[in-house]
Amino acid sequence: MKVSRRDLLLGTAGVTVGMVFTPVPWKLLGDVSVWTQNWPWVPQPQRGPVTVKQGLCTLCASGCPMRLCMAGGWPVGISGVKSNPLTKGALCSLGFAAHQLNWHPARLREVRHRGRVANWQEAQAALEKACSEGPVVVVDGRPGRAVSTVLQEFAEKHDVAYRVALSPGEKAFAPYADWTGIPSSSFGYDLENARTIVSFGTPLLEDWGIPGRFARVWSEKAAGKDDPELRLIQIDAKLSHTAACAWRWVAIREGSDAALAGAVARILVEDNLVPARVAIPVTMLEDAAAQTGLAVEAIRQLAHVLLEKKPTLVIARDGNPEIAALNVLLGRVGEPGGVVQRGGAGRAEVPLEENPSKYRAIVLDASVPWEFMPRTNAEVFRFAAWDGGGNTADWLLPSPGFLEEFTDVPTAPTAARENYGIAINLVPQPEGTRTSGQLLATIDSSLPTVEKTITLRCEQIFHSKHGAVYGDTVQAVAQMESAKKLEEQLRSGAIWVGDVPRTTSLHCRLKEWPAPTRIEPASDWAVEWPAPVLPPLAGKLYQESNLREAPERSRA
Amino acid sequence: MSARYGMVIDLDRCTGCGACMIACAAENNVPPLPAKATARTGITPMMVRKLSNGKDGAERREAFIPIACMHCERETPCVAVCPQQAVELDKETGIVMQMPQRCLGCRYCMTACPYHARYFNWWDPQWPAGMEKSLNPGVSVRMRGVVEKCNLCHARLHSSMEKAAAAGKKEIDPADYVPACVEACPTGAILFGNLADERDPVSVAARGRDTFRLLERIETEPKIHYKTTRSWIRAAADRQGHGPTEAQNG
Repeated sequence: MKVSRRDLLLGTAGVTVGMVFTPVPWKLLGDVSVWTQNWPWVPQPQRGPVTVKQGLCTLCASGCPMRLCMAGGWPVGISGVKSNPLTKGALCSLGFAAHQLNWHPARLREVRHRGRVANWQEAQAALEKACSEGPVVVVDGRPGRAVSTVLQEFAEKHDVAYRVALSPGEKAFAPYADWTGIPSSSFGYDLENARTIVSFGTPLLEDWGIPGRFARVWSEKAAGKDDPELRLIQIDAKLSHTAACAWRWVAIREGSDAALAGAVARILVEDNLVPARVAIPVTMLEDAAAQTGLAVEAIRQLAHVLLEKKPTLVIARDGNPEIAALNVLLGRVGEPGGVVQRGGAGRAEVPLEENPSKYRAIVLDASVPWEFMPRTNAEVFRFAAWDGGGNTADWLLPSPGFLEEFTDVPTAPTAARENYGIAINLVPQPEGTRTSGQLLATIDSSLPTVEKTITLRCEQIFHSKHGAVYGDTVQAVAQMESAKKLEEQLRSGAIWVGDVPRTTSLHCRLKEWPAPTRIEPASDWAVEWPAPVLPPLAGKLYQESNLREAPERSRA
Repeated sequence: MSARYGMVIDLDRCTGCGACMIACAAENNVPPLPAKATARTGITPMMVRKLSNGKDGAERREAFIPIACMHCERETPCVAVCPQQAVELDKETGIVMQMPQRCLGCRYCMTACPYHARYFNWWDPQWPAGMEKSLNPGVSVRMRGVVEKCNLCHARLHSSMEKAAAAGKKEIDPADYVPACVEACPTGAILFGNLADERDPVSVAARGRDTFRLLERIETEPKIHYKTTRSWIRAAADRQGHGPTEAQNG
């Protein structure tokens, strides 16, 4: 048979058209698409045995319990622990991506001295020289930990000052400490028993305090109800997330919170709504109205609403005494549903001086917020796991990062009950990193170790016989066999929570209304997040969704 | 009996914290994207959007609405248009599955989705050096050029099925299969379960008086239900909830 050119072309065209009706091109297309999913540069997830461990987050002072899914020894997933009585399974939004932080590009991996790479020997020699030459101060951002004890002992032995740098939430208790003589670290908020909460710009539903604690209370008692069991009144210049969720949002001008507090106090007393426990503020209602942008009648109505559902608790974003004085006026200091005194002795903390120029050197622990940079000519030694940028410290000293440090977590600020937990290092501490306690221990080997201090703390809890340990099960301390057993449980991720303290009305020596104080607006939504950097996935919140304002700081 | 997994999201309890978005991204190995990524070009299988009552000043009210794939039961638009059978409605679970291995990246499904709940991978998946150690081993990383969306944490369903099989059971324990967003919500605003089981709390809630679904009029029978007692949220959700707002478009 003779095959013509025409036959050949027809055959080729027939095969081409026929192929479309066979699986071949489609299979080929599918295979190509599968093949292109597997380029060598596409990252492969970690392989290895998958285990689940419990740990404590140490990125802020709340110390939220976490359930960690580990693969090949590394954390690959984080979730909350539902059995925990404080968080009830909640974590802050950033906490879910915290396991990425250890590989953040801004991770500090070597000692730096004024921009150049240095080493630990040089840093140690410089610190020893500073200690021998003049006054030195050690600043702790999270007092009450075992490492804080190490810092304090070093300070006592070497004639060094020990000071603290507190978060806005902790500063809010300073006025009550002044008026009662009780250390500010002894106070907390009884959120669960309040029926009206008046927040002066406090981001209550935005990872404030122990994330999840107020969110649960609000969700159960207030969300979506016209006449809720708990009334949340948010006084705020902007429509924040908390304001959006509040029973009532009172929109005032920026910085006029204190004037409004004074005016409300004046109405409460003048209208005989509360007994005149303190002198009436000098604030004139008309002046307050002009400052806040509210009508006098609206302020009066607000004052009356405060007492419709009692008890009423007032929460200030920071230590503004005029706002704190409202709680004194309402009789809520030391009362259920108010500012309560936790059990325990509390600690008398001395904040770092405004102008610390008298010091030759300043040592800032890694717990001190990154933005905290004293204006001084002193030599500054700054411990940190990440370089958030813009810090002018002379020495940047790399510290262990997330889950890399063996430490403990004392009572969370704002908590109404004492609590304690041990955060073991679930991943190994990287070579080249040291905590402030480890550096000081190389200078003075007689200092107590963190491990020993934690063991002592567990013994104290065991002998106190109060509270219970919340792990897989709840066990009262009084029923535990030994302090060692208690420590073992805490090391495995359980936490100890003290008994509900008996509330006692505290006598506040507040003879006159506090003088007006300027309130600084919050810098951004991540203000409670003390790590110098955010996890890369945080971009979902402020970049890909515009759910939050983009942090103005360079750290993001 | 085949299941119909779905959710009821209580909008009155949503504080807009974004924990669901972060937990979803971490669970599903969504990479951190370049600084130029926006709501349109980013990857947020669970996206929380803001709703407002349209007023200004002190009269303004805002609320938040989490939007993920609605897992449409009827005439699923993305399934109908996919030329590669990369999208499939699983008859056993009711989950609309996206198979990136089959996806050619034509984005017909994105055009067809009335809820704008699908995202295209515009960039190679990249993490800072070493951070790949933090990836979830149960979920493979998707390549540039494919579409992805919420699959109700399918990897978690698989592990619960494996667990049930190992125990000699045919049905999974509902407590073993909880998507990451549900687990992360600090206020318990997201209920998850089997809508086909009339006694399941999610099924009971879905039949409640205050529940609704987005774009119910197009009759795709979405399996994500919303709940609110405030009428303005319901109206705003229907008006804005099915597409990025101007601000989110960047």
